[in-house]
Amino acid sequence: MRYLSLAVKNLRRRVVRTALTVAGVGLAVAVAVSLGGFVLGYRAAIDRSIDMLGFQVMIMAKGCPYEAATMMLKGGSGLLYLPDDSYAKVKGDADIASITPVFVGIAQKEAGSIRDEGSEKTFTVVDGVDVPSFLSMKPWLKLKTGPGYDGGKWFGPASKDEIVLGYEIAEFEQRKVGDSFYATITPAGKPDPVRHEFKVSGVLERTGTQDDGTVFMPIDAARAAFNRPRQLTILGIKLKQFNLFTMREFESRWLKLPEVQVVSLQQVKNTLIGLVATAQTMVAAVAIIAVVVALIGVINTILMSVYERTAEIGVMKALGARRGDVFQLIWLETLMICVAGAVVGSIGAWVGASLVERAIKSLADFGVSGSIVRITPGVVGYAVLGAVILGFFAGLYPAWRASSMRPVEAIREGA
Amino acid sequence: MRKIMALVAAVSLGAPQGAWAAIGCTLSNPAQDLKYLFPEMTSYKEELKEFHSLKNGKELFKNLKERLGSDLDPIYETYETPYTLYSVYKGKAKVGIVHGVNVPGKGGVIQVFLSTDPDSAAIRRFFFQRLESPAAKALREKTFRAQFEGMTLADFYKHDYYAAVEPGAQADKVGRIAPPKLDASGQPDYDASLRGIRKNLILLDLFVYGQRFEPFFEKAQKAMSAGKR
Repeated sequence: MRYLSLAVKNLRRRVVRTALTVAGVGLAVAVAVSLGGFVLGYRAAIDRSIDMLGFQVMIMAKGCPYEAATMMLKGGSGLLYLPDDSYAKVKGDADIASITPVFVGIAQKEAGSIRDEGSEKTFTVVDGVDVPSFLSMKPWLKLKTGPGYDGGKWFGPASKDEIVLGYEIAEFEQRKVGDSFYATITPAGKPDPVRHEFKVSGVLERTGTQDDGTVFMPIDAARAAFNRPRQLTILGIKLKQFNLFTMREFESRWLKLPEVQVVSLQQVKNTLIGLVATAQTMVAAVAIIAVVVALIGVINTILMSVYERTAEIGVMKALGARRGDVFQLIWLETLMICVAGAVVGSIGAWVGASLVERAIKSLADFGVSGSIVRITPGVVGYAVLGAVILGFFAGLYPAWRASSMRPVEAIREGA
Repeated sequence: MRKIMALVAAVSLGAPQGAWAAIGCTLSNPAQDLKYLFPEMTSYKEELKEFHSLKNGKELFKNLKERLGSDLDPIYETYETPYTLYSVYKGKAKVGIVHGVNVPGKGGVIQVFLSTDPDSAAIRRFFFQRLESPAAKALREKTFRAQFEGMTLADFYKHDYYAAVEPGAQADKVGRIAPPKLDASGQPDYDASLRGIRKNLILLDLFVYGQRFEPFFEKAQKAMSAGKR
């Protein structure tokens, strides 16, 4: 306790210098905490996004997702499709617990513009689904209720003009149950787009996933609208037993279909994590540099403090202070700076998490929805522990230096 | 690489297209859009207006419904809906006000914007930001939109007055507006657009112009009540 109050007193002698050193440590800790939060949050976001797809395995046309990616990023000419009979062939597989066919199309929408020359086009994703099998994959999809949404229901398989809207697109277009919804679709092989007027039969509760921005319609109606009556985009599959072995078996069985790829969502997870690994390594490098700079700053500050107090340390030793006493005092000062920096940095990272998230998202599309920075007590705990270890090592040299001073020489040098 | 792209896309497929806007109505690119509307602009100020932050907000919200003459959408035109007001400056002089509202159209939301004179409250320009409709081309026609230039909220209240006491009066500017050529499918969006202009002007009168057009509303109300009797 005596050491603690002495250390506080010493640090308060040079308030600005101490504050700047704490700020340096705080900055390094904030970077480290934000990075940790990003790694954790991004993995959780990938898990959530993929789990919320509802499938474990997808069968799709080769190249199809590449086209989809292009379309997602800058618009495009069209997705690639599976032949309709793929569904009939695959659905009898003994390893399949459930399977749902999905047709994905891109409908045009008017983008907002105030220019006299009119607006540009944007697009929205239309999923043609078979409701019973689709909902068995995604049992969490619920229709909104309450004023404006009461009476909402999923469309029947034979319905031609009914749609269900994801939460966000309904809000964006300000649609309620029973309202109309315009979407412009260019049928395959036809030159001119056709404006369709659909009836909103239901609006989904928010899911925090890609489904919030999707227009759902009966699979046959979607295929008819896009003039692809015998095509599919994805077969979403849940296996009875999902492990590496059954997945490999399943994959080798169905890769024999022409122009088909079998993708496990575990692969998607790993690939997405791998894709951002480079970025994470770079940020980690920045964090390490920040930590090293902070470490040098702390050593420098404490050394300066030791040199300024050379005479004082000499007097302390002349009055009976042992080497261990001086060592402990200086070491404690270093630790206190590092712990204070850790606290400040953790608070800063926690407060600025949304800002960091916005900055990261503005740099690149990470392919997932929802929050990608998650600062947990565990992350903060590791950061504080790291700062204590930093303080432990940073304090060694100045403390050794101070404790090794000979009293008479120190008093003479410091005078 | 192809496989990687494939996997990434598989997750991205159908991801929400960016953050959907809030329920309020804002310009997509304020700096660019305002410069387009006011080439002389040197700066602008963006203010958020909400009924609950106004004195007598509840009463003013009730007034909006009365003055609009139609029901407000219970989900998308609520007491909590925020409104964004842009004040445009040339140097220190305020040269214009820009304000937009959402109104439900037949097949999607319609965003009706007005730029008004800061002193006279007259419409300088009426334009759409989002409008998906079979009538979109006709409604976006410059000649149609230009008919509203110079009008104020008083003209809309006068229209109510004339409709009650002297239908077809020459002085009824709103009544003399020539609608664009539309088929039946475009009519609801035409009506929604007119409602949007009126709603926009009422809100501007509440937020900016100190309810200066109230006497016209009261006169119209009296005439309409007398007409009913």
